[in-house]
Amino acid sequence: MARDKVVVKPPKHKIDRAYIKRYWQLYALLLIPMIYFFVFKYIPMQYVLIAFKKYSIVQKVWEMPWAKNHGMEYFIKAFSNRDFMNSLRNTIVLNLLDLVIGFPIPIIFALILNELRFKRFKKSVQTIAYMPHFLSWVIIYGLALQLFTPTDGLINMAITAFGGDPIPFLNDGKHWVGTYIGLGIWQSFGWNSIIYLAAIAGISPELYEAASVDGAGRFQKMWYVTLPGIKPTIVVLLIMALGNVIGSNFDRPFALQNNLVMEYAEVISTYVYKVGIKGLQFSLTTAVGLFQSVVNVFFLLGANWLSRRMGERGIW
Amino acid sequence: MKKKVLSVLLACTMVISLAACGSSAAPAADAAPAADEAASTEEAAPAADTASTEEAAPASELTDGKFAETRHITVEVYDRGNDGGSDPTNNMYTEYIKKGMLEQHNVEVEFVAVPRWTEVEEINNLLAGGTAPDVCVTYSYPTVLSYANMGGVIDLKDYVEQYKADTPNLWGWLGDTNMLWDKDPNTGSLWAIEGKRAEQQRINTFVRQDWLDALGLKAPTTTQEFEDMLVAFKDNADKLLGKDAAKMVPFSVSYDVGWRASNIITSFMDPKISDKEYYVNGFDDRMLTEPQTKEAVKLLNKWYNAGLMWKDFALYGSGDTTEDDMIKAGYVGAFQHNWDYVFRNGEDSINANLKRNVGEDAKFVAIDPFENADGKHAKWLYSPAGDRKIFFPTTNDEVLASFLYLDFISSPETIKYLQAGDEGVTHNVLDSGAIQIIAAEGDAIQNSGKNIDYTITCNGTYFGDQALAALSIAYGYAEADPELVSQSDKISMTDGMEPKNVNVGEIASEAEIGDSLSAKRDQIYDKAVTASEADFDSVWDEGIADYLSAGGQAIIDERTEKWEATFSGDMLP
Repeated sequence: MARDKVVVKPPKHKIDRAYIKRYWQLYALLLIPMIYFFVFKYIPMQYVLIAFKKYSIVQKVWEMPWAKNHGMEYFIKAFSNRDFMNSLRNTIVLNLLDLVIGFPIPIIFALILNELRFKRFKKSVQTIAYMPHFLSWVIIYGLALQLFTPTDGLINMAITAFGGDPIPFLNDGKHWVGTYIGLGIWQSFGWNSIIYLAAIAGISPELYEAASVDGAGRFQKMWYVTLPGIKPTIVVLLIMALGNVIGSNFDRPFALQNNLVMEYAEVISTYVYKVGIKGLQFSLTTAVGLFQSVVNVFFLLGANWLSRRMGERGIW
Repeated sequence: MKKKVLSVLLACTMVISLAACGSSAAPAADAAPAADEAASTEEAAPAADTASTEEAAPASELTDGKFAETRHITVEVYDRGNDGGSDPTNNMYTEYIKKGMLEQHNVEVEFVAVPRWTEVEEINNLLAGGTAPDVCVTYSYPTVLSYANMGGVIDLKDYVEQYKADTPNLWGWLGDTNMLWDKDPNTGSLWAIEGKRAEQQRINTFVRQDWLDALGLKAPTTTQEFEDMLVAFKDNADKLLGKDAAKMVPFSVSYDVGWRASNIITSFMDPKISDKEYYVNGFDDRMLTEPQTKEAVKLLNKWYNAGLMWKDFALYGSGDTTEDDMIKAGYVGAFQHNWDYVFRNGEDSINANLKRNVGEDAKFVAIDPFENADGKHAKWLYSPAGDRKIFFPTTNDEVLASFLYLDFISSPETIKYLQAGDEGVTHNVLDSGAIQIIAAEGDAIQNSGKNIDYTITCNGTYFGDQALAALSIAYGYAEADPELVSQSDKISMTDGMEPKNVNVGEIASEAEIGDSLSAKRDQIYDKAVTASEADFDSVWDEGIADYLSAGGQAIIDERTEKWEATFSGDMLP
């Protein structure tokens, strides 16, 4: 009885008690998020079953009949659907582009900002840069229409006034991808840089002093002190970003897409909304959502494993 | 060690929450029904019980049409979000209904507002949450069918007969045709009751009369003349719009090309189209799969590339007012829309705005230029049978009260009041006896034309009396010139073709994909219109192939099969 053994062991028991006594408030605090996750994340998880069942609006989950093909009907249906495969491709492409182009920009921005010596200027640049984060995507699309539409958009009006041809920012698929990525970066780089700025603030000034003594210039200090100092933060954020490579938020693509670019703009989340929620195909929707989550977890685990292999800490 | 345990714990919650986030789209929508499933099944049971007891002793619940105890029902009403409109759930008309229902039947009515342009999604959510109104209304029968297949809708086949004696106005107004329209010929199920159209006019072409006058042009009478007119508008933009010349749009459409160019598309259709052909391709009324539609869209494509159309139309979605604002500001020369579109909304109507913004003689008038192969100006009308679908979700445990509600709003007096309001406030009576609608204020404002959002069994001018309605139609729009309305009314009926609706039983393939197919249809229209002329054929053909493989073909096949099983020839008997 291993358990009894532990209980009878007096010293260990005593330490536990002291430990609990000292830290119980922290554990009590931890309880709040735990309850939150249990109620809002774990209990709803039983509905994952819907992916394998024929959904009915009036039955309980376990009363619903199993779907055809050993419950796999909706997975087969999704993967044999051209629109779904198209949205899967778009999700991956758009997210990878976001990652490749969008991920380094806040880091670079944070580094540059850190080099600014004039405090006031630095603060106002920072504030202006993270302002767009607070705009909803619907408003951003409204702005984009004012700026980018072929005839009435400000930028295209300027281009045509100088004798050029209007650029189809929003109405041609490939251009739209550029607009989508660009607006995404514009909206979030300032906000995303905050965490790097915080990490930079945590680097000991002694390191910079030592570097100065060794004769390092500004650029060398940035390269040999600042960057290594924020490397763990970068790695953690990269892992998180990779874990979301086939996940997608809803409002950004939904607000930005239009009928002419659907081939490039339909992503999984908007597909699920249109076909599943609007078309009442809840089983199909759940199957797609489950697939998405499973792939995301694999990406997350893979990225974490890779980072540990490369000598970084990973997220656990 | 402890720290490690703690961090593992935290990490676990985080990973799992990430996983849960990914799939949240589905469970979030699905989580709700579970809680309410119990409630809904419970409620469905007693409803069935009362039904069976009632068969033994009919109408035992009512004395003089009244319940002994006050009942409570909820009713869906569209919220159109009009500028300066009245509260759709609380205004002069809802008060009238509430009062009448309480006095006549001892039933309390509560209105539930549902946004007009997202009605299907909203009702989905309400149904899934078990909180749908007792009386629901939608334009989409496939949606009703999807709910019904999931067991979310009450089968009305027995109730309609059982309560027939209690609902004389309902049966009197809708008749057997609309009451039983959706009765499945095989199973006998009746999931919805069809409202009736009092007006059949559908779509007209409008043009700026003052622009025609300024250029010394006559109203075009052929497709070619219409095109020449558009070119003339474009070429004379400086004269017509001055400094705003660059904003000129000779012909405007929205993303919904199938609707907004309907009369052009119809003019290309084979005039001798068989009933079967019309039915088989008639999943929606946008005619995408009709063989001649391609030619019609090709013409639009030519206009688009010649700069005769609004370049940015496809970028604005449903419910967006950008195009309306352009029309009201006076930049648009011609467009097609509902036959009364330019007269709607009194002071905020298109013609009233033009008068204010542009000048006294600025106005849109209806014209009839598009002729088909037979030289007729054919256009589709609405069929009087079959309009909005009224259904009761299974959470409705007041079926009789709901029927009494439908009966109440179908009575001639109620329809007259809801459409015309109070004399002196919302209408005047002319010497001829015709009802003239005048601009209303505050609570008396009708958010929808003729209050169709409340008269869900009746769409269009009726006033409880066919003759009075015919007499009054030209005076139905506050601030509008009766002559223009009357002209538009006449043109919209000229060579009108009445679609023959048929009911050959459930078309299963329509149930789930209807909505996504409609979105695809709009995308195909938009891409084809905006393609370069060289690419047009390939864009169109690829689009149609995609549409058919995404479910369009399955619908066509099933419709063909059911038609052939029901009728012997290509024409209806």
